[in-house]
Amino acid sequence: MSADLKSSLVNPAVSKPPLGTHAPSVALPLGFVLSGLLSLGFGVGWLVLRPSLLATYHYNQYVIALTHLFVLGWISSVVMGAMYQLVPVALETKLYSEKLARVQFACHLVGFVGMVWMFRVWNMKQVGHFGCVLGLGVALFVYNIARTLRRVPKWNVTATAVAAALFWIGFTVTAGLCVAAGKCAYDSNTGFATEGGVPLVVDGLRALGAFMARFDAISAMHAHAHLGGVGFFTMLIVGVSYKLIPMFTLSELRSKTRATASIVLLNIGLAGSFTTILLRSPWKPAFALVVMTALGLYGWELAAILNARKRRSLDWGIKYFLTAVVLLFPLSGLAVVLAWPGLPLNTFTGQLENVYGFLGLVGVVSLAILGMLYKIIPFLVWFGRYSPHIGRAKVPALADLYSTRLQAFGYWSFLAGLGVTCAATLVSSEAFVRMGAILLALAVATLALNVGAMLTHLIKPRLEPLGAPSNPAKSTNRSELTGAKTASPLSPSPISKPA
Amino acid sequence: MTSQTLTLDLRDDIRQGREPFSKIMSAAAGLQAGDQLLLIAPFEPVPLFGVLERQGFTHQAERTPSGDWQVAFKRQSTGTPASAGLIPDLEHKCTAEVVEVDARGLEPPQPLVKILEAIAGLGLGAELKARTDRRPMHLYAHLDERGFSAETQEQPDGTFLTHVRRS
Repeated sequence: MSADLKSSLVNPAVSKPPLGTHAPSVALPLGFVLSGLLSLGFGVGWLVLRPSLLATYHYNQYVIALTHLFVLGWISSVVMGAMYQLVPVALETKLYSEKLARVQFACHLVGFVGMVWMFRVWNMKQVGHFGCVLGLGVALFVYNIARTLRRVPKWNVTATAVAAALFWIGFTVTAGLCVAAGKCAYDSNTGFATEGGVPLVVDGLRALGAFMARFDAISAMHAHAHLGGVGFFTMLIVGVSYKLIPMFTLSELRSKTRATASIVLLNIGLAGSFTTILLRSPWKPAFALVVMTALGLYGWELAAILNARKRRSLDWGIKYFLTAVVLLFPLSGLAVVLAWPGLPLNTFTGQLENVYGFLGLVGVVSLAILGMLYKIIPFLVWFGRYSPHIGRAKVPALADLYSTRLQAFGYWSFLAGLGVTCAATLVSSEAFVRMGAILLALAVATLALNVGAMLTHLIKPRLEPLGAPSNPAKSTNRSELTGAKTASPLSPSPISKPA
Repeated sequence: MTSQTLTLDLRDDIRQGREPFSKIMSAAAGLQAGDQLLLIAPFEPVPLFGVLERQGFTHQAERTPSGDWQVAFKRQSTGTPASAGLIPDLEHKCTAEVVEVDARGLEPPQPLVKILEAIAGLGLGAELKARTDRRPMHLYAHLDERGFSAETQEQPDGTFLTHVRRS
């Protein structure tokens, strides 16, 4: 038993730095985030070029390919990279293995690029193969985070949400692979397929395919989508924000009971939704309402946290995030409507489904992530480049790393693009979907420019010798000399600029 | 060895709202025994007296006719281990010293910055006690790199107390 462990067992309140003092690598989360941003750029560009993808019903190879570019290439990349970064912050312990995370990154890249490509050409066999590579990566991710969770010094609602999310992402990938297996033909019995253990695997897949044939193809797809969208993305957004929002707004969790209840209900609602969607049961709206209630509790707790905050001004990153949370409510309403038994299947309801998917993935999840990226990336760059110099040189503030004006412009362009695209989708207007997509692309461009600005600090850090005059406009602290309480005696307080 | 006097006129800095603490500390760090640091400020910088005393400076403050304050800080000892034995009083003061830093109620990465900057000004044998809202995960690697060790205890009110000393 290590000395550290011994001393913490003797006196659990006292702990030496847990598990070594090595600084977490910033390259790993940055790698994930940059892959995500590239995918986002590609995805939005694709929509600008092919607005028919939203203006017509979503069950075709191009829409599915684009959707997976969004959910795997953009959202999952950022979420996973962020998780590797946020674990020490949210769970107060060290990531179990950085090496495993790097292997996962490779699997993730190969996996999602391959899958998107193969979806586009509708080669389901290859989708399955690349899906397995991605799945291996996800298995490593789940294992890594699960081992990390075991080290958490104090279990809390965020840890519960993360644990649940791990279960649901595992299930999402499994379900996806099953759906793919169901779409393959298993009639080749020549060459490679007759060697070694391959026939066994093929037989197994054939049986799986036969099992999947019991379910309606579209329902299976929708069920799989909800597992990921609600079980992984929403679960993490809710759970992690219970830790991050108090941290950034200088507040605290107001009611642990309410927060925990929201997570419990979200899980129950999702379990029920998955089953009822898959089986096309008339109980779908009931579980949609359970999910809606869970989200209502979340909104209530968030409002309480914000009410109690000490930092009154909300920066743009937080504004992006909170807007996404607000959009959860029309989204849930739409879910209940679409879940209604006996809903007619026509062009309009088909388009409504498109709006639902788009609003969920772009309006809620992407917008929430964009807000958090504006907190995460500057911190990663600042921590990697500047934190070793604290106390030895003058380091820039976090807010100096990017342009808040661009960020604000991006916010309004994004909202406009979201609104226009949703309306255009509803009325099946390709021209207006394109317009909406262009507005979204503009928003993404502002993010790209800002990320570029942040990254230049990595390449060319802006350090000044101690004692160089600081920018008085950025300083919000009173002088240490007067003995008054101050945020920082040396550099200007490195908080984000108030909006 | 000829002693030198370094003059720092902080009046303009303070009027502009700039934070001169770092300027003062780095100027002080560059002084040898017998050297003087002459500070000119629009008020009497009382908290500095204690901080610089711990670094081995005596002070003499006087008010100028214009209403400003002029403080002459004279370094008595460089504080290096070789000279420590010569001034037993100061050495005794150094080892007993505990600097307290309250980094609660601050948005990240301010707690990290505040603690690391306080460490930059820490005398030999001194200890730092930092209070934070969260376990300061990002701090440990930096402390290690700068030659410090730390121990964190959770407090009954849910905050954290970290003891930092030179390793």
